Amino acid sequence: MRGRLTPWWFAGPAVVLMVLILIAPIVIAALLSFTDYSLGNSGADWVGLKNYDRIVSRSSFEKMFIATFTYVGVVVPLSVGLGLGAALLINSLKRFGDFYKTIYFLPVMAALLAMAIVWEFTLHPTIGLINETLTLACGSWLESFAFFERGCARNFPLWLGDKDYAIWTVAFIGVWQGFGFTMVLYLAGLTSVPRELYQAAEMDGAKGGFDRFRLVTWPMLGPTTVFVVTIACIRSFQVFDTVEAFYPQGGGPSKSVYVMMFAIFEKGIQQNLIGLGSAVTVIFLTFVLFLTLVQRWLVERRVHYA
Amino acid sequence: MASIRLSAITKSFGDTQVLKGIDLAIEPGEFLTLVGPSGCGKSTLLRILAGLEAQSAGDVIIGGETINKVRAAERNLAMVFQSYALYPHMSVLQNMMTPLTLRDLSFRERLPFVGPLMAVGKYRALKERVAETAKILQIEDLLHRKPGQLSGGQRQRAALGRAMVRNPVAFLMDEPLSNLDAALRVHMRAELAELHRRLGTTFVYVTHDQAEALTMSDRMAVMMGGEILQLDSPDRVYSDPQDLRVASFVGSPKINCLPAEVDQEGRLSCLGLFLERRVLPQSDPKTVAIRPEHLVLISQDGQSRPSLSGTVTHKENLGAEVFLHLALADGAHRMILRAEAEQVHDTSLLSRIDIAFRPGRALIFGAKGERLRFLPERQEKAA
Repeated sequence: MRGRLTPWWFAGPAVVLMVLILIAPIVIAALLSFTDYSLGNSGADWVGLKNYDRIVSRSSFEKMFIATFTYVGVVVPLSVGLGLGAALLINSLKRFGDFYKTIYFLPVMAALLAMAIVWEFTLHPTIGLINETLTLACGSWLESFAFFERGCARNFPLWLGDKDYAIWTVAFIGVWQGFGFTMVLYLAGLTSVPRELYQAAEMDGAKGGFDRFRLVTWPMLGPTTVFVVTIACIRSFQVFDTVEAFYPQGGGPSKSVYVMMFAIFEKGIQQNLIGLGSAVTVIFLTFVLFLTLVQRWLVERRVHYA
Repeated sequence: MASIRLSAITKSFGDTQVLKGIDLAIEPGEFLTLVGPSGCGKSTLLRILAGLEAQSAGDVIIGGETINKVRAAERNLAMVFQSYALYPHMSVLQNMMTPLTLRDLSFRERLPFVGPLMAVGKYRALKERVAETAKILQIEDLLHRKPGQLSGGQRQRAALGRAMVRNPVAFLMDEPLSNLDAALRVHMRAELAELHRRLGTTFVYVTHDQAEALTMSDRMAVMMGGEILQLDSPDRVYSDPQDLRVASFVGSPKINCLPAEVDQEGRLSCLGLFLERRVLPQSDPKTVAIRPEHLVLISQDGQSRPSLSGTVTHKENLGAEVFLHLALADGAHRMILRAEAEQVHDTSLLSRIDIAFRPGRALIFGAKGERLRFLPERQEKAA
């Protein structure tokens, strides 16, 4: 066994698996994205950049980018911010910390498809809990707000069925579902902040919580934050199940919730336009790759101090 | 400069009492060391003085003012931590600036980016103070590096710099040298002592290393089991310990202890060897202790002199001097003798040697470890 081939015997299985499971599908998808292949066809024609051209020029794909980036832009900062806030609050508790941890983590553990049904009932325009509650405010001083005035005069938003509200409502559910996860990551990060640093900050004259946070907590959570933001970004780009559960017909009111994963599913699977679906997939992979590279760069350059 | 007084400090964690009523007055400008084995409460005492931990009872008084309720940030004390606790994301300059900015600048002036623009003059003044301190510590070249890029000794200096930069009432140091390698530790001992002389500020220094306490301090407090056993100058603690535990903790190698017997006339003997001086017959010494350097080798030239004999079990050669480990002839006791190298170079392992006590050097302790005294020589003659 000792010879020039020995290293290959060690690395071989991993290399083979990686090629089979990761690299080959990506290469195939990239190649398919330049064709008009459909499942069942015996062959396919090379169409060059036509698929990409359609993505750039068609209005439905413009909506896809708007929906995806709105979702990512809302969900990532909010779930990271709320996760950090919840982690700091729970960390400061002497008792009941585990209780709150469980509560905030429940949505992460729940099956999202089942939760989507619950949300659908809650957000129902007429019999939903949300609008029923809002109706209670009619006649009170709250009516001086334009939102209530309009709601009481005619009707409150349709939420999921309203093209102005749909993407924000789906994003809200995404935050509700996701911030428990970032909270757990931040709680883990907080345990590794050396206590002596807080004492040093106290001796240096940091009296308020904000000074302590700025001087110790936030910088020491740097590596955690980079990781959390990357994970949250990738998870938000991947959002699919809520959209599929709420709008099986495709993309919500006037395609305002037509997110990337749903586009891949609709084009590639439902309409059997494998070439076009592959092109969207390649764009999706490019975003994820870009995010990962940014994360590596930040981790190496900025936040690992030792 | 202000004096610091701790009065009847107790501290309990649950049922365990770690400090049992400590009274300690620290003179302005002195270098006071709290020394003791780990778990003796010395660090807790320092942290109570710093305000990082609350005492269960007792008062902390600085400059005549009781500051039990004053939080650590407002006590104007500076601390150097064992791990240095430098902010890892900041350069040495920023680390040293932090205590100044937190105290001397308003909230708005401390804001990132905007703050330095609003208070250009103030920032320049603070930077000058940092530069002065850096000059004293000779770390000017390191100001723009981050702690991760510094060696242990350089980090130590940076941590000292952060403590020094704002002229505190006292420096509190919690085992600051224990993360350094042996050679650097010896070097920093001298440097810290010199720094203390130069600054003239009070240093309160916690260590478990008796050598650090002996070499640096003006006074040292030997702590054990939550109490101060002896507070005295290093000389006195070493040569005149008030307690057997102090005698065995301070000094390396450890002081030799032998069982003591006393006869009707107050003559004291250990393992059959009579000491020259007497004690009151009613006092009840249990232990005779003698430092390794107060044992002398008796050359076997036939001269008879009261002595103990033993076998050399180990020879520790330190170059200039040698520690001989002896198993005494009675088989139960071991002793260590410190000798000049040339005195013992022909003494081999397992050879038998005779040793005697240097006159007047033995210390005697009672049943509870308390120090007992010999009778004054005049009285002895009268008896």
